[in-house]
Amino acid sequence: MNTKLLSLNEATRTVNSGSNKVTLLDDINLQVNEGEFISLMGPSGSGKSTLLNCIGMLDSFTGGGYTFLGEPVHSMKEKNRSKLYKEYIGFVFQAYHLIDELTVWENIETPLLYKSIKSSERKALVADMLDRFNIVGKKDLFPQQLSGGQQQLVGIARALIGKPKLILADEPTGNLNSKQSTEIMELFSQLNKDGVTIIQATHSEQNAAYGSRIINLLDGKIVEE
Amino acid sequence: MIKNYFKIALRNLKKNKLYTTINIFGLSIGLAACLLILLYVSSELTYDSFHEKSTNIVRATMEYKASNEVNYAAVTGTKVGPEFSRRIPSVEDYVRTYISSGNIIYKDKSFAENRILFADPSFFNIFSFQLVQGNAANVLDASNKIVLTESMAKKYFGMVNPVNQVINAFGRDFIVSGVCKDVPKNSQIKFDFVTQFLNLNNNVKREQWWSANWITYLLLNDTAEIAKVEQQVNEYMSTDLVRKEARLNEGEYLKYNLEPLLDVHLKSELAGFEPNGSLTYIYVFVIITVLILMIAIANYTNLATAQSTTRSAEIGVRKVMGASKKQVFFQFISEATTITIISTIIALGISVLFIPYFNNITGQSFTRMELLQPIPVFLLLLFSTIVSVLAGLYPALILSNSKVISILKEGFRSTGGNNLLRKSLIVGQFAISVFLIIFTLIIIQQMNYVQSKDLGYDKDHVVVLPIRGNMLNNFSSIKEAFEQVEGVKSVTASYETPEFVNWSDGIHAADENGEHDISVNAMPIDLDFIKTMGMELVAGRDFITTDFALMDTINTDNKEYRQPYLINETLAKRIGWSPDEAIGRTISNRADGPILGVVKDFHFSSLHDPIGPLLFFLNRNFSRNYIVRISGADVKNTLTSLESTWMSRISDKPFDYHFLDQDYDALYESEKRSSLLFSVAAGLSVLLACLGLFGLVAFSIVQRTKEIGIRKVLGANLGNIMLLVSKNFLILVVIAVAIASPFAYWASKNWLQDFTYRIEPQLQIFVIAGLVTVIVTMITISYHSLKAANANPVNALRSE
Repeated sequence: MNTKLLSLNEATRTVNSGSNKVTLLDDINLQVNEGEFISLMGPSGSGKSTLLNCIGMLDSFTGGGYTFLGEPVHSMKEKNRSKLYKEYIGFVFQAYHLIDELTVWENIETPLLYKSIKSSERKALVADMLDRFNIVGKKDLFPQQLSGGQQQLVGIARALIGKPKLILADEPTGNLNSKQSTEIMELFSQLNKDGVTIIQATHSEQNAAYGSRIINLLDGKIVEE
Repeated sequence: MIKNYFKIALRNLKKNKLYTTINIFGLSIGLAACLLILLYVSSELTYDSFHEKSTNIVRATMEYKASNEVNYAAVTGTKVGPEFSRRIPSVEDYVRTYISSGNIIYKDKSFAENRILFADPSFFNIFSFQLVQGNAANVLDASNKIVLTESMAKKYFGMVNPVNQVINAFGRDFIVSGVCKDVPKNSQIKFDFVTQFLNLNNNVKREQWWSANWITYLLLNDTAEIAKVEQQVNEYMSTDLVRKEARLNEGEYLKYNLEPLLDVHLKSELAGFEPNGSLTYIYVFVIITVLILMIAIANYTNLATAQSTTRSAEIGVRKVMGASKKQVFFQFISEATTITIISTIIALGISVLFIPYFNNITGQSFTRMELLQPIPVFLLLLFSTIVSVLAGLYPALILSNSKVISILKEGFRSTGGNNLLRKSLIVGQFAISVFLIIFTLIIIQQMNYVQSKDLGYDKDHVVVLPIRGNMLNNFSSIKEAFEQVEGVKSVTASYETPEFVNWSDGIHAADENGEHDISVNAMPIDLDFIKTMGMELVAGRDFITTDFALMDTINTDNKEYRQPYLINETLAKRIGWSPDEAIGRTISNRADGPILGVVKDFHFSSLHDPIGPLLFFLNRNFSRNYIVRISGADVKNTLTSLESTWMSRISDKPFDYHFLDQDYDALYESEKRSSLLFSVAAGLSVLLACLGLFGLVAFSIVQRTKEIGIRKVLGANLGNIMLLVSKNFLILVVIAVAIASPFAYWASKNWLQDFTYRIEPQLQIFVIAGLVTVIVTMITISYHSLKAANANPVNALRSE
């Protein structure tokens, strides 16, 4: 159970804003093992989202080393990098980011389409997922017809459909009320028990407490673990 | 996957109804135009190509120099065909042709037919008009044989097999020897009946170089040899023997040019059986279609990229979920394809519906069936594919290349380059529209000028009655009868009517400055011509009855014969005489004779040409038309009375009259078509460009809802908001006007160059076109900007 999933070694991220060089992430050292549930905490602008995006390979570190499943991500080409994240990482967003034109079923199915999975298999996988999340009755509805909590449920189902090793969730309950929040966090907890590694960014102490490990960020640096 | 692409595409189109409607409307019109033009262009480009031997057939046209003038004609004498095929080995065969009209009778059926072709027996061997019955080798091998087309067979014989039946044509009996398929529309020879060339009359049985009335085609045995054969022909034509035969004087010549059959319709200057097509016209058509299609494509590109703001989240998510660049690219291409497919279907419908109008503009006669053939439909599909790629390419590239992280983080921002492209496209669209508006206005203005120009005679209320058969024998009594009709002011007669005098001739004059030989147009006229036409004499007088006495044919071998003349000012000037000096002087044309009067210059050709020297000579025997001036008070009644007078005297010929002003208008047929074409094109382009703008403004306001809300809260009034939204678009339109104007000026100058008498492109036209465009733009923009300006700002701000 203690296999190393990813490690960051003095990872930094800087951007040029006009003539100033702004450091978003500074000298981050972090090891994540499979099966962990990590909560990233910190005030707005402390670098939580940036760190998540860089780990998710949507963005990249500008310095330092990043190893994912033993592969050196920092020296990879863009193409291999996206292949890697598409296979192993699922994303959950604060604003859900469901596609408005697609039904619940189709939203969940989309990642499978991009993986060129056969139609019959897709059907089975999506049906399983709907079943697991108890949203079979909602499968033909469009996102606007769902409550926020239900939308996020679909978002999570969609992130899980590709059987990722790692789920990255950026403020997954940020737009939800407390009852819905609790439900979503319970779900994450359950998923984690089923073996999925989770890294979430959050403002709320209460949500952070679901994690097995809390990392505090301030001004791009890890200040406390 | 593909199914999925199209499903999403359809849902997106349904969601953005405005965007979808604008695009489908624009592309349908563009594609419909394409399809129709395609039909026209392909028919023009394949003219006469259905003949199997088309590349080996040439048309012999005549070029001759006589009295110092070189003339060209599409017709030849009867000798050309047989003589060349005897003398020149490469000339395998020949066919002389002529189309005439006459009555065809079968039993109780009798019709006046005007497409009766007289052709040598080789006709069906040289040309590939397909015989359904009968054998090409012998359908015309006897003088009593006649071939008719399938529709004529149906018209005269119904279900009966026409072969071996006897029909009566122009008073003779013929045996039907064959039936051929109806002549294709893209054939320069169009006929309903064919019989032997020698049946025309006795004159054609004699081979001669002159009396050129016949179109001669030669069949060569080698395509590559046209130039060589032409050279051989003209070497032969310059031998002494032939020159003597053709009665050519020193310095004169007669030669023949061989035009490849396939070049006749589009490249020849000489019309044969029908007016030729025009390559320029094809070019103009194609350019206009491409311009309209470009406006529609630009609309698509603009709206799609503008819309990308609202699509950003979707693209980001798709990419995060594993969509590759290629997959996103194809999704957007399929959206363009979906729109194009729908547009293609609508375009097909539109073109079927609008084919009569299209025929009107082109002067063609396409049918709906021709449109729905596999080839045009296939070409349409090909076009749609190109269009969907062109329209979808840029948005697809922009959207698929965007960085995921930036989209998810801050939404899709159209970059500077994107904006520049959008602005350039708008400027391009409006520049095209403004160009077309200006050009159209100038054509219309020139046409108005043509209509209202003082021609030097009065073309209104003049009835022209063709003189036929033996009517000349009773010339005076018929004329007098017409003069008695109520409402008739005066009657005269002439060979041609004054709006277009074709008869070319020459005169000889001598004075203290020497001898003058001058080429002129000439016109034999009757008494009262000047009065009836409302022309003006600047010196001397019109012909009077006693002038006939000058033409003394009774005394002494025509030695006393004197031909009385009138000339126009230009001819007097050309000789070097003032009008008053000219009176009484002798010139010679058919015979020596005195100038009795000088007519003030009038336009006897279209306004394309300058007024040249003109000669009138008194002679009734050449008359082909009575020209009747009526008062115009009760035209209908006058015509009825004229008709009953006609019928009481000439009962065997129909009373078909025409008005002189209509004949005049017919001179400008092609200009009228151009003005129609450009009006339609200008209208469409403005409509499409404005629709596109309408859509863009809608999007831009959605993007700026919050900004507008904030500004309103801060105290901006309606005017401020309108200005805010409209300003940028208006600037683009003004730039478009500035770009288009010089091009339009140059193009219209060029077009006007064809007219000797023309307007100058005036500044006001440009100002009007610019103003119209700006006003239309303002109206287009104001709908959305008013809506935005009137919206409650609270709603705009709450959505965050």
